[in-house]
Amino acid sequence: MVRFQDVSLRYGAGPEILDRVSLDLAPGSFHFVIGASGAGKSSLLKMMYLANRPTSGRISLFGRDVASLSRHDAALLRRRIGVVFQDFRLLDHLSTLDNVALPLKVSGQRSDEIRKDVVELLTWVGLADHLDAKPATLSGGQQQRVAIARAVVSRPSLLLADEPTGNVDNRIAERLLYLFEELNKRGTTIVVATHNESLISRFNYPVIRLVRGEVRLEHAETLIRSSDMPARPPVEPGDRDTSLPVDGEPGSAG
Amino acid sequence: MLLRKSIVPLNSDATGRFLPWLVAVMVYLAALALVSAMAMGKIVTRWDHGLSGQITVQLPVSESDLSKAEIDTRRENVLKLLLQSPGVLSANHIGAVETAALLEPWLGRSSGFSELPLPDLIAVEIDQVEPPNTAVLTARLIEIVPGATIDDHQRWLGNLLNLARSIEIVAALVVLLVGLSAVIMVVFVTRMGLAVHYQIVELLHLIGAQDGYIAREFQGHSLKLGFFGGLVGVALAIVTIFGVGKLLGQADTALLPALTLQPLEWGILGALPFASALVAMLTARLTVLRTLSRIP
Repeated sequence: MVRFQDVSLRYGAGPEILDRVSLDLAPGSFHFVIGASGAGKSSLLKMMYLANRPTSGRISLFGRDVASLSRHDAALLRRRIGVVFQDFRLLDHLSTLDNVALPLKVSGQRSDEIRKDVVELLTWVGLADHLDAKPATLSGGQQQRVAIARAVVSRPSLLLADEPTGNVDNRIAERLLYLFEELNKRGTTIVVATHNESLISRFNYPVIRLVRGEVRLEHAETLIRSSDMPARPPVEPGDRDTSLPVDGEPGSAG
Repeated sequence: MLLRKSIVPLNSDATGRFLPWLVAVMVYLAALALVSAMAMGKIVTRWDHGLSGQITVQLPVSESDLSKAEIDTRRENVLKLLLQSPGVLSANHIGAVETAALLEPWLGRSSGFSELPLPDLIAVEIDQVEPPNTAVLTARLIEIVPGATIDDHQRWLGNLLNLARSIEIVAALVVLLVGLSAVIMVVFVTRMGLAVHYQIVELLHLIGAQDGYIAREFQGHSLKLGFFGGLVGVALAIVTIFGVGKLLGQADTALLPALTLQPLEWGILGALPFASALVAMLTARLTVLRTLSRIP
């Protein structure tokens, strides 16, 4: 699904952000990317969603060499990738409905189909009552859900989330990860960049640790668990809450 | 609600607000340049048609005190000579009334022509395929009437044609420069729009929008602005043309042309808003595509 072979990245004449990174993420896998600030988490994700190209090395997505993609094919490939940006990147002048509909609209879907899908998804994330609301009128938690809804509305094969839990407390962060887990069970490959190691410890997924631009794994599928990262306690089906808090609910940010 | 047509809110920002007015000025100038060229072309055509195949023989009367009978005899001799000359198809005396009519464009209707020492004029129609040798003809005429001259109009007409051609070239340059200025303006406005809305453009790019999709957001906006500006410019030009036409109509001279446009010329003027819209649209599209090509 995602393969990096000796991938290095530097911006201009600056230092190496990523230094000969190699990793291989299988379809349907779930990975965390962790590392200190500046370790290159966002840069790694940016290369996965084709916002950055490597200085050297080779990246393959969905079995296709990224370097050989035409602009047209690169755009088609991006449609198979959902991204939850760290700063959400919602368009202030568009309603919730329009924001979530964007990926479908740019891919040329019919308006009536778009509306049906988007309303259904916004209902699922608890925003059915905010279809026409502008992002500025939503809380941080609600904006996050809009961003997630936009990332998954086109049913991407690969979902990348850059610090999605950065603006919310642990309880919402945990629910968000349960939501990602649900999507993963439906076949979506998930990569979540975070610096929240305590949260990672509660979920039993492989970890890609970045230290000074290098991946501390030879095989990304290998579960890394530091000695201070306790395994997640077993979760009973009844305890699992994949719904995100609705507006005004304690704990929602913003 | 969804399905609003434009994602990039170009209508609500100030980047393109001044563009229609600048386009209007440009189209106004282009329209006037075109009309000037067309009017000049018409004058030349009219004079060219009127004067080709003709020469005029002038017999001076001011320098000799001749009686009317002598003048008539002299003219008859000249007419006879002309009609016998090879290459001359016909020769007709231009009477006093016709001479006055010819002078009217220069001197107006109110001048007292009878007091002027007007030359005796003979209009000669010549064979355009085998025209007479005017130098030889002049020499023979001078033998009969000292001081007689032949005006074959060619030098005068040639200068006029050169003038007309110069005006047409200047008009074409004006249209070209105006078009170039419009293109540069649209490039700047589009770049400004791209800079202001870069985050939206980048987001669209990252969620899989093709470059052409993003370009359509900008080109549609420029098309509207270019068309509106073009309409205003042409409307102002039409008002100016009517105004100038009215002034020319009031002038007491027939030398200046009547500023009336033919259907084709109206068509050209009417096409200007479409041309400005098309130029604006294509420029915006190419600018966006070029800018996007720098995004990986």
